[in-house]
Amino acid sequence: MGLIDRTRGIFVGPEAPTFLTTKLDFFVNWARRNSLWPMPFGTACCAIEMMASAASNYDLSRFGMERMSFSPRQADVLICAGRVPYKLAPVLRRVWDQMPQPKWSISMGACASSGGVFDVYSMVQGIDTIIPVDVYIPGCPPRPEALIYGLMMIQEKIRQESLNDHYALRSEDPATVARPRAAGEELVGLTGPFGNSTQQDRLSGLAVTPAAFPSDDPSSDF
Amino acid sequence: MSDESRSGLDAVDEGVLVEGAASPYNEAPPEARNDHASVAALYQRFGGAVVRHQVNAGGQHVVFVDPSRSLEILTWLRDDAEHRYDMCSDVTAVDYGAGRPVNVVYQLFSTTHKRALRVRCELPLDALEIDSVMPLWKGVDWLEREVFDLFGITFRGHPDLRRILMPHDYAEGYPLRKDFPLRGRFSREEQTRRALNQDPERFYIPEEFEVGGAVQEVRLPPVNVTAAPDRGTTAGES
Ligand code: SF4
Repeated sequence: MGLIDRTRGIFVGPEAPTFLTTKLDFFVNWARRNSLWPMPFGTACCAIEMMASAASNYDLSRFGMERMSFSPRQADVLICAGRVPYKLAPVLRRVWDQMPQPKWSISMGACASSGGVFDVYSMVQGIDTIIPVDVYIPGCPPRPEALIYGLMMIQEKIRQESLNDHYALRSEDPATVARPRAAGEELVGLTGPFGNSTQQDRLSGLAVTPAAFPSDDPSSDF
Repeated sequence: MSDESRSGLDAVDEGVLVEGAASPYNEAPPEARNDHASVAALYQRFGGAVVRHQVNAGGQHVVFVDPSRSLEILTWLRDDAEHRYDMCSDVTAVDYGAGRPVNVVYQLFSTTHKRALRVRCELPLDALEIDSVMPLWKGVDWLEREVFDLFGITFRGHPDLRRILMPHDYAEGYPLRKDFPLRGRFSREEQTRRALNQDPERFYIPEEFEVGGAVQEVRLPPVNVTAAPDRGTTAGES
């Protein structure tokens, strides 16, 4: 487009025109997809690979992502790299709520995507129960190439967006702030046990653990 | 197995309970007490309160003591000039399940005598309480909180006994107990709902993040305005 004249080659020199014509969609998406600022949410071993992707060998900045944004308010894409315990779930949700639209999110690694090997009492079984996810990257941990491929899939996704769909894609309901993304049946489906833990039962026949605080009584209404 | 071929590693293989053995606890023979000066001294001084003695892998001497006298014994181990266990490198607990007592484990080291000793106290499941050793070693603060959090053992006299790893309003019990189901007691939906209802700010105060006073250190010194002659008028006003 624009920059290249098919009959005379690339415009340079005094005869070059001072304007370009293009579609607004193309121009906006071009700008967005080439300056994606990642918000690193690195919680475990996957974060090491994310750091490697940003370092000189893999060099994320080739794709316009050199600036890791350590503030969610200046970030475009949340990279959740690592397992997320339930104690960290409200933090993840708040970081996501604080990011301004347009925003995208990547679930990097088996743990972020599904809980991975940690099918246990303390671990969120997939961050898609907490926040919406655009791209899931498999692997334990995924190689930097995989992360870069995931980011390029987000670029591809942005390329196909249109401002006509802006409100459908980018509006947020204030009622969803700080609430789980999935609820009820969907959450049960997403977090269903797999692997060895299918045999695990919530009801153990052993002694009941006494509650330390009155509020700890499982039968009390929370 | 002849006595010659026994090593500490065998004891680890056999675990704490040995089926059909003369002593169910894999006790070390009485002669072994003399291999470790503190073990021998403990037997001599607190004979009745020392329950048994084991030698574990790597020649680690373990003394089981009566939990009701643990504070007294640990105080003596720390203060007596012959022993001086001035470092408590770990406090943890073990639950063997099947209704067996939960063990609280103190891993001690003497920097004076370069000696290590492990002290264990067995607490029956219906009386999970023991004296805090905070008065002896300040560093056990968070370790005791962790044991409280994950095993539900109450440390009498701990100034700030609350959960440390699990959320503060965690209601499913004590995760490292053997009777705790691996995936928790609540459904995933309930766990997710409770997780997002947490209010992290409610439980942390700014002082908790400035251990060591780092926040005060970084304050900039006041700017000396009078030192800049060009701004004489400003300096005069201030
Ligand atoms: S997916 Fe593997 S590498 Fe990534 S956080 Fe989980 S355990 Fe670590």
